[in-house]
Amino acid sequence: MARFDIARFGAEIFRASPRQADLMIVSGTVTKKMAPILVTLYEQMPSPKWVIAMGNCAISGGPFVFKGQYNLVEGVDLLVPVDVYVPGCPPRPEGLLEGLMKLEEKITGTRRFPGPESKW
Amino acid sequence: MILAAKTIEEFRSEFKSVDISEVPYDKQGYHLAIEAQTGNLLNIVEFLDRREFYIVDLFCVDYQDYLELVYFFNTHRELCRVKVTLKLDPEKPVAPTISHIYTIARWYEREAHEFFGIYFEGHPGLTYLFLHSGIDHYPLRRKHVPVPDNDRQLLDSFKPQEEEDCFFVNLGPQHPSTHGVLRVVLKMDGEYIVSAEPVLGYLHRMHEKMAESKSYLQFLPNPARMDYPGALLFNLAHVETVEKLCGIAVPERAKYIRTITCELNRIASHLLWLGAFPADLGGLTPFMYAFDDRENILDILEGVTGSRLTYCYFRFGGLYNDIDEESFVSATKRFIERMRERLVMYDKLITGNVIFINRIKNVGIMEQAKVRKYGSSGPFIRSTGIPFDMRKVDPYEAYGSIDFEIPTGHTGDNMDRYLVRMKEMEISLNIIEEAMKKLPSGPFQTEKVPKKLKPPKGDIYHAIESTRGETGVYIVSDESDTPYRMRWRVPSYSNLMTFPYLAQGLLIADAIATLGSYDIVVPEIDR
Repeated sequence: MARFDIARFGAEIFRASPRQADLMIVSGTVTKKMAPILVTLYEQMPSPKWVIAMGNCAISGGPFVFKGQYNLVEGVDLLVPVDVYVPGCPPRPEGLLEGLMKLEEKITGTRRFPGPESKW
Repeated sequence: MILAAKTIEEFRSEFKSVDISEVPYDKQGYHLAIEAQTGNLLNIVEFLDRREFYIVDLFCVDYQDYLELVYFFNTHRELCRVKVTLKLDPEKPVAPTISHIYTIARWYEREAHEFFGIYFEGHPGLTYLFLHSGIDHYPLRRKHVPVPDNDRQLLDSFKPQEEEDCFFVNLGPQHPSTHGVLRVVLKMDGEYIVSAEPVLGYLHRMHEKMAESKSYLQFLPNPARMDYPGALLFNLAHVETVEKLCGIAVPERAKYIRTITCELNRIASHLLWLGAFPADLGGLTPFMYAFDDRENILDILEGVTGSRLTYCYFRFGGLYNDIDEESFVSATKRFIERMRERLVMYDKLITGNVIFINRIKNVGIMEQAKVRKYGSSGPFIRSTGIPFDMRKVDPYEAYGSIDFEIPTGHTGDNMDRYLVRMKEMEISLNIIEEAMKKLPSGPFQTEKVPKKLKPPKGDIYHAIESTRGETGVYIVSDESDTPYRMRWRVPSYSNLMTFPYLAQGLLIADAIATLGSYDIVVPEIDR
């Protein structure tokens, strides 16, 4: 069955309403047309609340930043506070899982599993 | 070709003063070119409408001295692409609307209006479709042209007005069942939909503008980000068009590998839809099964292309690298075997499910005759019974030497759209199997492809069959290494615009089911 199962970390419950959510994952490009809606969604969430910026587009605008661009918010952190950045275009599933664990570490102060060792 | 000759003859006898010229198809991708004037444009479009042409695309090119509106037409019976152009004064661009003849033009014209500032006389509502209210110029014009003050009221693209006994529901842009950030404004009478109006642009990422400042090679990663579930097919559309424009030949082996990987990607995309469509109806189980199968394809393609989702594998004149024959072929064979078993299971699990059948049968019926007014394509029109597939009509890559059938439906309802896609997966498996048997050895890349491509002056339109339908690229080259103008004709856009028609009078739950059956991808619509 499903290979990348975030239920293992107790994070599988998906809510279609921001009023029942405590984590917002911004998983794509934020355009200027979308920006006010995104801010509204964030404000509808009850505290405590966290934000993950998933993918290069949400982090900084990614590949869509160029001279003369007219429709892009260059990073979701210009709109709402971001807790964890998950890079990649798009990020791998492992990347998002690691992002969730990073967030857990940030909230509780302890890490569930040992992190990957740095090769360099 | 017979149709093209016949059309010329009929056209010349009807329009004595208008010039119609034949164009070499293998160089420019269309058969006939007509230069219309503001006065006779409507007559010409009506002429094509009477001969049952469907509208492929409508867009604008800014040549600085003048603006050129380009209309593309084609027929479902035979390949006969007609390009109609209309020159406009850049100071005061006004053109007659054709939205009363071809319905989809309503949206294409709104797009041309906001990006180029062209006014269409007689258009029912020339408001903004894509852009946000902060924009102060026409983005795709070459020079900076500010939006006039009295047009600013049009900027706030859609503000519903309350009427008696009716209320408005905003579906999206952050609703999960719109598969991305599509917004549809529904006018409701109780639980029934009176009218639906799509509002786009929440993911408009300026691909066409970007193309004008990037070289052909630098633009390679972009198409994959337009249609992320079927990335290779969009990659192919771009690569093939540039190859055709520059006259680059592709080795046989590369053609076969392109065919195999594209069909694998098509199945992966259909599987994504197979997971999402029942989920829209409330059944979450198929999602788990479909994604399980999809992982297998992603593994195979990751081994070949190096990425999981947004592939950029094809290069001008071939491929990025060769396949590892042993591991790739054996893994694909294993997948085909497994997938055939799974298709039987899906038949039992989903297709035979009584609740599922009753939910989608005879809902959202699209009439065959209406389809060409919207320029829809892909599984969406094949479900109405039109066997139109670019792979068959204009065989590219190795499709010409592979025998395969095109599945069609009868009524064009949600059930037919479902069945056509399920059958397509099966046929894709056959195509892959046959292509792997015939896979020739040899080089996978043409030698001597210059790093900096400088194609000859001219324009070209080339289309392929992506997962959702006819995906076309129109390039105007000015002999430099960047395109002067690149236009993407995307299938989801023209498919989606039938939604206002189909949603009328439906329950909101059935409208969601209909929207799910389209298999739309929003980044592709918004570009």
